[in-house]
Amino acid sequence: MGAEGRGLQRAMEAAELRVGFVGAGRMAGGLARGLLRAGKVPANSILASAPSDKNLDMWRESGCRTTHCNLEVLQESTLVILATKPHVLPGVLLEIRPAVGPHHVIVSLVAGVTLQTLQRLLPSGTKVLRLMPNLPYVVQAGAMVFARGTGAGDEEATLLKNLLSSCGLCEEVPESYINIHTGLSGSGVAYVYLFAEALAEGAVKMGMPGGLASRIAAQTLLGAAKMMLETGEHPAKLRGDVCTPGGTTIHALHQLEKGALRATVMNAVEAATNRARSMAED
Amino acid sequence: MSVGFIGAGQLALALARGFTAAGVLAAHKITASSPDTDLPTVSGLRKMGVNFTVSNKDTVKNSDVLFLAVKPPIIPFILEEVGPDIEARHIVVSCAAGVTISSIEKKLSTFCPTPKVIRCMTNTPVIVREGATVYATGTHADVEDGKLLEQLMASVGFCTEVEEDLIDAVTGLSGSGPAYAFTALDALADGGVKMGLPRRLAVRLGAQALLGAAKMLLESEQHPGQLKDNVCSPGGATIHALHFLESGGFRSLLINAVEASCIRTRELQHLADQEEISPAAIKKTLLDKVKLESRSVSLASGSKVSLFTNKHPSSKKN
Repeated sequence: MGAEGRGLQRAMEAAELRVGFVGAGRMAGGLARGLLRAGKVPANSILASAPSDKNLDMWRESGCRTTHCNLEVLQESTLVILATKPHVLPGVLLEIRPAVGPHHVIVSLVAGVTLQTLQRLLPSGTKVLRLMPNLPYVVQAGAMVFARGTGAGDEEATLLKNLLSSCGLCEEVPESYINIHTGLSGSGVAYVYLFAEALAEGAVKMGMPGGLASRIAAQTLLGAAKMMLETGEHPAKLRGDVCTPGGTTIHALHQLEKGALRATVMNAVEAATNRARSMAED
Repeated sequence: MSVGFIGAGQLALALARGFTAAGVLAAHKITASSPDTDLPTVSGLRKMGVNFTVSNKDTVKNSDVLFLAVKPPIIPFILEEVGPDIEARHIVVSCAAGVTISSIEKKLSTFCPTPKVIRCMTNTPVIVREGATVYATGTHADVEDGKLLEQLMASVGFCTEVEEDLIDAVTGLSGSGPAYAFTALDALADGGVKMGLPRRLAVRLGAQALLGAAKMLLESEQHPGQLKDNVCSPGGATIHALHFLESGGFRSLLINAVEASCIRTRELQHLADQEEISPAAIKKTLLDKVKLESRSVSLASGSKVSLFTNKHPSSKKN
């Protein structure tokens, strides 16, 4: 482990890690909220910058420090999260480049911007990682993947993983998986909301009040997901466990199969992944 | 022990072939009867050394285990005919789809107070000793009688006892199942041919693929979903292909098929119970009168004898 790595490790262990956010929108806010809720970083160790005050009020309310100056974030923080909109990022990188040093760990949350692009616009050798979370990291139930750039080593990867595990599942992957993760889980959250809505609507049709149906739908998804994660069993097996011969479940599943639900879901993941890929090339 | 078959069609031939290949029964201990001696299966049975007769009564007299291997609507008339010859020692095994134990016992009770009846559902791969058979024992059949049948049928594949009310579902799944598989294999071979394989090779490989997959599943503790995953490397050929299957509703088609076969079996049973088939139409195939009919009437598939208006000519016994 290099000197910087040990410094970073010690900083984290002593809760002295100073985390900065360039961009203070929904993605950044979600990550910060997750870190705060998990108690990983004290609020006053977090500094966020944004061009206007529009987004910064919420940060201040949580006890974080705010600024309008991106360079200040680089000067004050070791771990810097880039969370701007994609079209804004290249300009921001050029702006902060002079202040980026070998002690910095730069983590990009910006969709579609590759490690190659990030490394091209930052000083050579900069430790860069690319992170793709999904929104439930706000409630510490996120699914996140990250990929490391050429300048980032095991220490940075481990530190990021430890930090983010407080927000949910966090796995290191090859960069090529990031677009797939978007299709599966980034956008995937929306598919689940759609499914939950449909479940509830079915219940309403059968006579249950909507609010109750919605809560039960959500809990059903939560419970099923929890069983998958905790038992580690194949979902097909778990599905079979619920199906008594000739019972209600198998009748319902037949309806889903008739509607080619599986293929439709596969199509959805494919469409989102392809879109992520083509957007990245723009 | 001697075994008799009333009916000398595909089922009788398949079972006879299976039993003799398994060595549980010598061919000369088997008797088969049918009024029609021109069935292609009849010559097959004769060649094996099975005793063939046109007299159902002879079959009954010479058998301990008596298989009713005729089409379901014919069962009541067979029972009327051979009922007087059934003794307490006989084990009457009906393989007819949809025909209930109680309907058989009811018919036989006018002749024999305690007929031993077992209802069985098997399938054609008994011919290569890879059959799938279930059976349910009737009121007067003992545990030993069931075990005896189980031993016989286990020699030609998998055999297990079930409650009678499951037998229609079994018909839909494994009774008709080989037909689904043959259809799939034909189509798989077409796929192979389309992509450049010679037909014979395509058929051979397709069949081996299904055989191997079935064997893996039977020998594995794993769920078929898991076994499927094991074949699908990320972004690879197989997962692309599976997506096509899912898009076509492959799974639901198979569920629909099993359901349709099961429901149809129940319908046939219902119709049989109401004895809606014209006795004249049945008697045509039963009595020696058949020989007086034109030789061009093919009885092997029963296609000219329209017992039900929507009967598929290609169906065998189901």
